Amino acid sequence: MKTKKTALAQGFIRCHDCGCLSNQTDKNSHCPLCGGRLHPRLPNSFQRTAALLLSAFCLYIPANVFPIMTVTRLGVGEPHTIIGGIMALIHSNMVPIAMLVLVASILVPLLKLLGISLLLLNVHYRWQSHAKKWTILYRIIAFVGRWSMLDIFMISILVSLVDMGSVAQVIAGPAATAFAAVVVLTMLAAKNFDPRLIWDNQR
Amino acid sequence: MNDFIDPDASEVTINKKTELPLVWFLPLIALLVSGWLIAKSYNEKGPVITISFPTAEGLEVDKTKIKYLNVEIGKVTAISISDDLKTIVITAQMNSTAAGYLNQNTSFWVVRPQVGLGGISGLGTLLSGPYIAIKPGDGSKENHFTGLTTPPLLKNNADGTHFILETNNLGSMKPGTPINFHGITVGEVLSHKLSDEANAIRLTIFINKPYDQFVRKNTRFWIDSGIDLSAGADGFKVRTGPLISLLSGGIAFRAAAEDTIENIQPEYSLFPLYDTYNLSTQIVYQNTLKYVMYFNGSVRGLTVGAPVQIRGIPIGKVTEINLELDKKTAEIHIPVTVELEPDRIKEINNDNNISDKDVMAQLINKGLRAQLQTGSLLTGQLLVDLDFHPKSKIVLSDNKSVYPEFPTTASSLDQFTHSANIIMDKVAKLPLEDLTAEANKTLQSLQGTSKAATGMLVTAQGTLDTADKTMASAHQVLSIMEPGSTTHYELEQLLQELTQAASSVKQLTDYLEQNPNSLIRGKKDQ
Repeated sequence: MKTKKTALAQGFIRCHDCGCLSNQTDKNSHCPLCGGRLHPRLPNSFQRTAALLLSAFCLYIPANVFPIMTVTRLGVGEPHTIIGGIMALIHSNMVPIAMLVLVASILVPLLKLLGISLLLLNVHYRWQSHAKKWTILYRIIAFVGRWSMLDIFMISILVSLVDMGSVAQVIAGPAATAFAAVVVLTMLAAKNFDPRLIWDNQR
Repeated sequence: MNDFIDPDASEVTINKKTELPLVWFLPLIALLVSGWLIAKSYNEKGPVITISFPTAEGLEVDKTKIKYLNVEIGKVTAISISDDLKTIVITAQMNSTAAGYLNQNTSFWVVRPQVGLGGISGLGTLLSGPYIAIKPGDGSKENHFTGLTTPPLLKNNADGTHFILETNNLGSMKPGTPINFHGITVGEVLSHKLSDEANAIRLTIFINKPYDQFVRKNTRFWIDSGIDLSAGADGFKVRTGPLISLLSGGIAFRAAAEDTIENIQPEYSLFPLYDTYNLSTQIVYQNTLKYVMYFNGSVRGLTVGAPVQIRGIPIGKVTEINLELDKKTAEIHIPVTVELEPDRIKEINNDNNISDKDVMAQLINKGLRAQLQTGSLLTGQLLVDLDFHPKSKIVLSDNKSVYPEFPTTASSLDQFTHSANIIMDKVAKLPLEDLTAEANKTLQSLQGTSKAATGMLVTAQGTLDTADKTMASAHQVLSIMEPGSTTHYELEQLLQELTQAASSVKQLTDYLEQNPNSLIRGKKDQ
């Protein structure tokens, strides 16, 4: 591994916008090609990712504890948490759908949170091994990000479609907002994380 | 390599640089939001209570709600069977707002759909499943409750007043029977129980707030169920209560005009419940005089409650009829106790110094006597009639009762039967045997008369034969006048002349009719 041969190590900074490599060491300089601000790495990547991640963690708890939606059938409301919904699906013999919801709504956000945490730990403690695999993890997290909005999409459709007054009604619960916030925050965290930091730490 | 940047140095500058704290507001806000959500839901959780019910029919964990006035204040979290295996025990998580209601006298019951004569209730639970309703009560804090099997009658702490009604017959009244005031349902029967002496039934009723003020001193309650059909001199009258009362019974009351607002009765006042509307309209007189009357002869048809009248106007009633046997003299007496209501008599030239009793004594001295009279010829019911019989003496029996005696006189029926008896006696004394012997003789002489008549008939036969002959000669005379004979012709001539004479007489009479004056003045020339 030519670990020392990074662009930064050789005095090059890559413009974020046009990708132009410029041999500038002055941090406040501008790109000679497009005039954009030059940063050797994403600015404050670690702190921003950490802050967003922490927020996501905070909201992940209410997202799972509180009911995500209330299904009102004939005037009787039944609030469902995400886990409760999965259990209800299993009880009504819809295991595949239950699995899908479990993966999309619980496992994916959780793994994303854990993955980003691990990436941050990696950067912070300068773990030396498996730099390539960490990068693969980052790619997966960045790719999977938008797909965990499945739940929110479903709820927003149900809320607007199943509105038959007292016969049947779906009302989004407080967890839906928290859950959407978790998904958005993890996506932002993944976007703010600069994977080059993994490689910077390699000696 | 001047442009080589030391990776360690660059790392410090790139990654360890203290970031502006703005981004750290984000986790702070997230923490606050989630903390607030959790704290809120934690605060909403109230006490956990247990309620025992005889059955868990329709109740479901996490689905069955506990509601007060249809507002959800709790949820069933567990259902188990009690240790003695007789009831079920429901564990419920209440809201914090419900904490104030959970007192000793708070009652719980399960609301299920009910269809009754009084209407349909709990229809919503038909589809949504039953829920547990709560009626807050007072007392100390409590965590374990025993659920009611039937809903309490006052489902919420409505404003109003309780009253007690006393009746002899429960009839079709039961808890929930409506109470009407001018046809408006203003309350209901809550419960019924025997009075302490077990001689009456006491109904606890509840009248709702704005209407309880009309329950005053002279308010009358009556049973307003069924159809009240009465026939009077002015025709038939039908009185019916509301339809619901017709089907399931009801009580009605009305306020008396003489009551003022000061006469509003306090809670748990006792009122009599009259069996019919008519009974409730009768005035109850507190001031009564009791007398005992001894009647000679049978009192068959006289019943307790029979009216006492003066010249047809009721002034009292019979309260007691007894049979007494004097062991010494072996005599039978029938003391009839009557209750007179002197207030029914309007007094003129009133003198307050004379008591009602004195007035009665005065009337008795003037000849007021009691007499049994037939009230109804169909049923043979008797009534006591008071009237003046100045000629009758005051005959008093050996009165042993606590009440003064009222002198009686034989009833007109008694008098009638008495005179009928006399007539019958006279009839019995008639010499019937002599009469029949006489009659026999008469018949025998009649027989002789008929024999003589037979002889006369034979003579008559001879007379008829003679008549036959006479007829034959008459036939000969008539044959002379056959057509063609001279006599016949002459007769025809005579008839024609008679006809002409008759027509001229007719003309004359016609003329005279038109001109009657011609009789005096003669015929006028045309």
